[in-house]
Amino acid sequence: MAILRLQDIYKDFSGLQVLLGISMEIQQGECHAIIGPNGAGKSTLFNIITGLYKPSRGQITFLDRDITRSSIHKIARMGLSRSFQIINIFPKMTVFENIRIAVLSRFNRRFNCTSFLHRDRRILEESDRILSLIGITDVRNVPACEMSYGMQRQLELALTLARDPILILLDEPTAGLNAEETRGIVPLIRKVIQGKTLVIVEHDMEVVFNLADRITVLNYGQVLATGTPDEIRGSEEVKKAYLGRI
Amino acid sequence: MDIYIIQAIHGLVYGMLLFLVSSGLTLVLGMMGVLNLAHAAFYMLGAYFAYTITVHLGNFWLSLIVAPLIVGTLGIGIEHFTLRKVHKSGHVAELLLTFGLFYVLAELVRIIWGSNPLRVPLPALLSGEIPLMGTTYPIYRIFILGFSFLILIGMALLLLRTRIGILIRAAVSDADMVDVLGTNVPRVFRGVFGGGAALAALAGVIAAPFLSTYPGMGLDILLDCFVVIVVGGFGSLLGAFVTSLMLGQLQSFGVLWIPRLALVFQFLLMAVVLIIRPTGLFGEKQ
Amino acid sequence: MNRSRVLKIAGGGIASLFLLLLPVLLPEVDVNHATEILVFALFAVSFNLLLGYCGLLPFGHAACFGVGAYATALIFKHITGMPFVITIMISALSGFVGALIIGFFCVRLSGGYFALISLAFQMFFYAVALKWRDVTSGDDGMSVSRPDFYLPGLGPLSLMNIQYLYYITLVIVVLAILACYLFLKTPLGHAAISMRENATRASFLGFNVFLTRLAVFCFSGFLAGIAGALFVVHQEFVATTVMDVHMSFTVMLMATIGGTGHFLGPVLGAVFFMVFQDWISSLTKHWWLFMGIFFVMVVLYAEGGLIGLFKWGKIRAWFASEKES
Repeated sequence: MAILRLQDIYKDFSGLQVLLGISMEIQQGECHAIIGPNGAGKSTLFNIITGLYKPSRGQITFLDRDITRSSIHKIARMGLSRSFQIINIFPKMTVFENIRIAVLSRFNRRFNCTSFLHRDRRILEESDRILSLIGITDVRNVPACEMSYGMQRQLELALTLARDPILILLDEPTAGLNAEETRGIVPLIRKVIQGKTLVIVEHDMEVVFNLADRITVLNYGQVLATGTPDEIRGSEEVKKAYLGRI
Repeated sequence: MDIYIIQAIHGLVYGMLLFLVSSGLTLVLGMMGVLNLAHAAFYMLGAYFAYTITVHLGNFWLSLIVAPLIVGTLGIGIEHFTLRKVHKSGHVAELLLTFGLFYVLAELVRIIWGSNPLRVPLPALLSGEIPLMGTTYPIYRIFILGFSFLILIGMALLLLRTRIGILIRAAVSDADMVDVLGTNVPRVFRGVFGGGAALAALAGVIAAPFLSTYPGMGLDILLDCFVVIVVGGFGSLLGAFVTSLMLGQLQSFGVLWIPRLALVFQFLLMAVVLIIRPTGLFGEKQ
Repeated sequence: MNRSRVLKIAGGGIASLFLLLLPVLLPEVDVNHATEILVFALFAVSFNLLLGYCGLLPFGHAACFGVGAYATALIFKHITGMPFVITIMISALSGFVGALIIGFFCVRLSGGYFALISLAFQMFFYAVALKWRDVTSGDDGMSVSRPDFYLPGLGPLSLMNIQYLYYITLVIVVLAILACYLFLKTPLGHAAISMRENATRASFLGFNVFLTRLAVFCFSGFLAGIAGALFVVHQEFVATTVMDVHMSFTVMLMATIGGTGHFLGPVLGAVFFMVFQDWISSLTKHWWLFMGIFFVMVVLYAEGGLIGLFKWGKIRAWFASEKES
């Protein structure tokens, strides 16, 4: 069952055509990687799916609902969560407070002004649970901006998961990590996406082939190929586009 | 029919003045991301300097040169000693600073020149009226029109045909890129800031005999400028030009037809634009 | 219990005692002055709710203050026998509605846009107050007389008695400031604060940034409306000065000088401003200029305001010396 459907997505920015007719289907429960050279339009695609940009043409359906023109927060509330390539956390808040605000949103207490947040046991416990799931309980009370880059990446991941989303979009989750940190994050990703659907944009091919059930290759704003890792590895067209990077 | 044309010319005069003042403001905003409220004070200072120079030195023409020079230098000083310091503290600090500077300058003006409106006398060449379309029209307003068009052409030539102009336009578009390409961006900023201040002061000099000088003139022009940048779009000179002229007409005819509600129309326009197209008519999407 | 908690509790206790005993300790003219300071403390706190906690700078915050002031003045003038607390509530609601109208346009923006639209609306309200002479008497202003305050069981208390006025103002201001403090601890309060840090991420986490900020903006207008009402009660007079640029600048000054990074910063700023203003205006009639220059200095050299200096400078040094000994 396809939980996310993109139909003929076009996007141009004041004349610059970035996406030229992207059509894709993401099946429930799969781990789907999107790869492609820089400038292929991967981040733009994420931005369009999550509501930051509106496509010039085309339709996006999530859980059989049209989200093409929906606002960012409505899409997030439907169960679609994303991480960012450039770390996008709440810098001066502690790690715990970062997670807490996400959990707050998940439990629909966003407009509550008749109780105290620090007394809400359900939110506090759930926040701590997520911290331990990701493995950052040690730095619970550290301001997010004071952590190492690697830990900030983990926090970035934690924020994406805090809403217990149905569909997760990870935008280059290993960007800036060294080889060891990258090797460490892959099992973490695999652990936390149990029972969820994942779409991941990545440049690190080891990560991609480790995680992905299916891969879509983008090039110059169009889908070049879609298939299993073996099919993609064997594809001549893909090889040509990457000039032998695989 | 004739009265409409006369009103339209009135509107054009004010529109051009407004453009002269708001152009500096929008350029600085587009380039440096700073909404410089003190800009309105530069305009005011220009007008008051015009008064002093004309009344005490007897020469209006001199003020056209001296006032912008003084205020331009002041602008450069302000940019170097205060704005630069506060830039790293974020937009809020910058806004607080420029508001504080505006306030201090406005108070200084009030202290030095008093709270009463001051009339700036015109030189003989520019006073009087000439016959126009069956009625007479003040020569001075025609002078304002002519002079501001000259400045407009000068600005256009500078920005479109000179190297400096290209640098400025590039910096408005993407200051970081220009920096990386090796230009001394801080110096360009300082120059534009000072230039914008001088231009505002020049507009003040020209406006003084026309609108009279009074301590609240800074705030009044600031609000008008603000409508111009919001509707015209940040950093867009074309937007500022079109909107200034539009606003000039709106005020001119608004005063004629519905005097009490002229103010309301301006607000409505701004509110509508903000809802429909938040980046302004000619602005770029942020 | 660690040292800083002890200090806070002790400090709070002393301050509370002082506030309660003030009319006994100080002469009437100072009690009168203290009442005015209380009003501005609330006004400054409502301002800092937006600046310090939401990261939004409203240049025209006096608009809601002024709306509350005029609401109270008009009630005093035209309706006799309206219970005092109801009058204050109506003014608060007027401030709320004013904020709703202004906020609807401003809050979708940030930074300079927000600041100037709020100023534009304030100037608009100012122009309306100025021109609508039939209702507001324009810049001549209206005199009003303080009504009696009916305490159940105790009968009418004349608010012409400065001590009664002081205590009633104290109770209202303390309750309002407390409400603000507690508000910031609720989920909605935390949501607004997180948007100051990163509004985009908040949006991607499911928060409706516009509605959240609008809600806080309206609450801030509510509090400013109360302050405006109390201001009129104290002054027994209202004119267009309650919503002019000077008034907006005053509250901005208070919050910034006191320190926007701490909840009580604006309160300290209000105290400082009023005391300083008193002193400077006795020396020169150009005290607004000095205030402006002082403000610019604070923005340039002491961003955290007085509380910032206080927090880092003295206390840290004290702790450092304690550790060494």
